[in-house]
Amino acid sequence: MRMNQEEQCDSVQYRIMLKISGFWSRLWKGNPPDLALTLVGLIVSLLMFIPISYVILQSVTAGSDRWLRLLDTRIPGLLYNTLTITFATTLVSIVLGVSLAWLVYRCNIPGRKLWQWIFALPLMLPSYVGAVAYIMVFGPTGWINQTLGAGASPLNVYSFGGVLLVLSMFKFPYVFLVVGASLRRLNRSHEDTARSLGLNTWGTFWKVNLPLLRPAIGAGAILTALCVLSEFGVVALLRYNTFTAAIYYQMAGFDRQSASILSAVLIVLTLLFLWIESANRRKQRFYQISGTYRAAEPIDLKSWRLPGLIWVLCVFLLSVLLPLAILFYWTVQGVRLGAIGGNFWGYTVNSIQVAGLAALICIFLALPVIYLRSRYPSVMSSLISKLSSSGYSLPGVIVALGLIYIFNNYIPWLYNTFFLISIAYVIRFLPQAMQYSDASLSQISPRIDEAARNLGLNPLKVIIRVIVPLISPGLLAGGGLVFVSAIKELPATLLLRPPGFDTLAVRVWVEASEAVYHMAAPAALLVVLVSLFPLKLMLSKY
Amino acid sequence: MHFLTKNPVLLIAALLVLLFIAGCGGSDESIGSDSGELIVYSSRNENFVNDLLAKFEADTGITVQALHAGGGAVNRIVEESHNVQADIFISNDISALEYLRMEGLLEGFELAGIETIDQRYRAVDNSWFALSARTRVFIYNKDLISEAEIPQAIWELTDPVWQGQFAITRGENAGMIAHISALRYEWGDEQTAQWISAVRENAGAIMEGHGDIRRAVGAGEFAFGLVNNYYYHQQLREPTNNNVGVIYPDQGPGQMGAVVNGAGVAMIKNSPNRNNARIFIEWLLLPENQREFSYSSMEVPINPNIEAIGEAAAISDYKVHDMPLYQLGEYFLDTRRLIEEAGLDLDLR
Repeated sequence: MRMNQEEQCDSVQYRIMLKISGFWSRLWKGNPPDLALTLVGLIVSLLMFIPISYVILQSVTAGSDRWLRLLDTRIPGLLYNTLTITFATTLVSIVLGVSLAWLVYRCNIPGRKLWQWIFALPLMLPSYVGAVAYIMVFGPTGWINQTLGAGASPLNVYSFGGVLLVLSMFKFPYVFLVVGASLRRLNRSHEDTARSLGLNTWGTFWKVNLPLLRPAIGAGAILTALCVLSEFGVVALLRYNTFTAAIYYQMAGFDRQSASILSAVLIVLTLLFLWIESANRRKQRFYQISGTYRAAEPIDLKSWRLPGLIWVLCVFLLSVLLPLAILFYWTVQGVRLGAIGGNFWGYTVNSIQVAGLAALICIFLALPVIYLRSRYPSVMSSLISKLSSSGYSLPGVIVALGLIYIFNNYIPWLYNTFFLISIAYVIRFLPQAMQYSDASLSQISPRIDEAARNLGLNPLKVIIRVIVPLISPGLLAGGGLVFVSAIKELPATLLLRPPGFDTLAVRVWVEASEAVYHMAAPAALLVVLVSLFPLKLMLSKY
Repeated sequence: MHFLTKNPVLLIAALLVLLFIAGCGGSDESIGSDSGELIVYSSRNENFVNDLLAKFEADTGITVQALHAGGGAVNRIVEESHNVQADIFISNDISALEYLRMEGLLEGFELAGIETIDQRYRAVDNSWFALSARTRVFIYNKDLISEAEIPQAIWELTDPVWQGQFAITRGENAGMIAHISALRYEWGDEQTAQWISAVRENAGAIMEGHGDIRRAVGAGEFAFGLVNNYYYHQQLREPTNNNVGVIYPDQGPGQMGAVVNGAGVAMIKNSPNRNNARIFIEWLLLPENQREFSYSSMEVPINPNIEAIGEAAAISDYKVHDMPLYQLGEYFLDTRRLIEEAGLDLDLR
């Protein structure tokens, strides 16, 4: 009798465990991942959740009349402004990025190697510096109008077209870089097959190359769109009202609840964009079997060589030469007036510290999330992945306030250290590392994972010894991109920094906001120079 | 070191650990009990504050750690209220100081020397007080318009005669908000709403900040602009484009007088270095330091006995609007709502 009772107790617990593991197994569609991997993924998403939890907390305690007042009055108009500029910029960036990447990576444009990394330069400029440069040249009292007479300027910077141009010029490298990387590793066999079936170059481009580039284009487009959503400096300078302007208005009135409500709308928009992109991609698979990889030869453009070169030069002029020339001009003025003081190198060290730490953390944290999403698709990995990306379009001030709230109250030993700034950067820029690494990972067939498992490696070893070396160029490129974005970040840094801790980006803003350009320019130039090395390093591997 | 360089993951991990250690060691500012330091948050332009803080360090030997966070400083102070990190808050807007007081985040004391500041310009419990005046004036370009032609009262900005000829700041600007609060105090909500709509139509430009306005007026882009008085003093000192004049509006008999906001300081409750904060405040009330507070920004001291810079009109020289400054706090939220309803909050052109 006693034996039977014991058996029954055991079997009750046993049955519960069976139920739980059955549920877990069904959640992952019969292929649950390593527990360690899931845990890391959960921790990452928890970290990313901090600003969102702040937004939710503030929104929920706001009261329904505040919601109605906000959502009634000007939100529709602002949403329209924001969505139109986002779509337009993304479209233009795709056209620019794909065309330039094609020309520079696949065709025999003169100076290909040079253009390949020069077009990454616009990413290193704080975009408000770029906007100031455009105002200085094309604005109503700018150089063009001053030398050629009033009304000579071909561009009205303070218009939709002006904002579109400035934003596109500084965001298209997101698409350019990731599409270029895919093009570099495109297997020749696809194109050869297409040719043998009768397609010419143009046909091959549309029917073979473009579909193969779809994940890369999607990744670049998402980065661009979300970047524009959260953009504030440029649109404020160019006097174009977007959604984020409304958020800043509420913050200026110390109304954190209204700002949070509006931020909640931004989060919804972000999730919407992400969902659209992934739904579009769902059924397609883009693996390349690297066993038979042969690099493609550059396409000879013949008579199209000159127009291609002209196109490349035009974009170079507007996106790289113009802002850099302005920066050099003002830096020369600044050096003459003694702008490079003793504190300058301290600011540089600070910048490198916080940005570097953030980049390294992102390299580590991006992998589990995208690996989960790619190899173990399920509701949970999708949730983890979406949560990790949702902080991307949040205004920096909201991320900062969320971190202040959590860390000052609950984790005070980390508060008021520069570590917190790095965490803010991770929350804001992890999606960049994720998108770039994911573009790499999506080219590796799961068969490789399975082969490694077959040969005896456990799942964790598969990741470390097989996957990581294969996608390390993508990981490093993502890290490099995070570094470049972090070193010019402004709003979160401004709010989170410990007293006495300034970065170069903060100095640029402080001086530029009082129009003391000869003091701002050297710092901005240094931001570009410091970003150059990591980016070039990452690009050469990528 | 071969294994490190061979495996990029290990290399990165090693770098991470190094950076982390460097970070933890470096910024180890222990905010303990009244160590010989003072934490100051400031929303003013840092150039106007750094000299003052350096003087305090030299005079008393207390180290000052300053955070210049612009408008965000207030939000940070509020979010930190359960675990206060700052001792003193220096602000360029009384509304912010009064807002903090109304949230219960400030602490008032009996202070030596506080009576040099008129009661209109300090909190009811002395937890904050203004030290310099920011008076709303018209700055005008002497080449484009003469002193006789320029409007003499704020209400005149609604006259269509001035269409496109002047510049104002956007409705989010603290100086603008305070000004509109004063107008509501004087005229009531309805007339103020009319003023806002009319001015919004009439203005030639709605700019981000007063610095942009003073440069634009100096360069001749607009005949005049609505700014704070010290922007006039600043533009006079520019090497070029400095042929500008100033009008203090509403000075006639029966008119409301020029609207005054202020820059000032506040003592934060439960602060980590309370005694040092008190030392700072009483040091600040000394005449030579009151002057130092206003000096670099070319503002005019609120205490009329303190000398101001050269051509600046002392606060006793002109008629001042009679609203006590702490009212700015009470009016703050409703003024912002009024501005939102009129559409001036986000306008930028």
